[in-house]
Amino acid sequence: MKKEDTVKLISREGFEFIIDKKAAMVSQTIRNMLTSPGSFAETEHGQVTFPEINTTILEKICQYFYWSLQYASGKETEFHIEPEITLELMMAANYLHT
Amino acid sequence: MYAMYIRVKRNKTTYFIQCDPTETVLQMKEKLSNLIDQPANDQQLVLMPAGDVLEDSKSLADQKVENDAVVALTLRKDDNEFEEVNIVKPNDEF
Repeated sequence: MKKEDTVKLISREGFEFIIDKKAAMVSQTIRNMLTSPGSFAETEHGQVTFPEINTTILEKICQYFYWSLQYASGKETEFHIEPEITLELMMAANYLHT
Repeated sequence: MYAMYIRVKRNKTTYFIQCDPTETVLQMKEKLSNLIDQPANDQQLVLMPAGDVLEDSKSLADQKVENDAVVALTLRKDDNEFEEVNIVKPNDEF
């Protein structure tokens, strides 16, 4: 596991989540940020800040990325979502094209 | 493709680490050392919420570390002891 193969996602409250680039690419929005040519700070440092997404939601999203990779490889488990975070999670998912 | 991942937490940082149940705790520490610039020897991993210190030579499965588990990371301090477990919880309004 190399540092270059990971990205750091930062929540509104400044909590950091270090995940595999491959997992982050589940999100079309993050994929675009990390792969677009030009001088996005995100591309250079492998770091993306989400001022609009709070920590609980961002962690849930990271868990979803990994669940999604496992599901795509044939492991059929359910992804549990607590009812109280559903609305905010959907808004974040919409923003992230996930 | 790895079978699972664990969430390694310290302060306000979480590392998602992909792994297999048969891997040893030492192998996990070696993966972490690439990310945090601390040698395996200066890391201690603690399974949460139980608070059990994980042993290097045993596998994850042997120590009941499952997919999506939260594991606290503590580092060796100057006095050679390991720091206390410190995981900051977000203060979200849920």
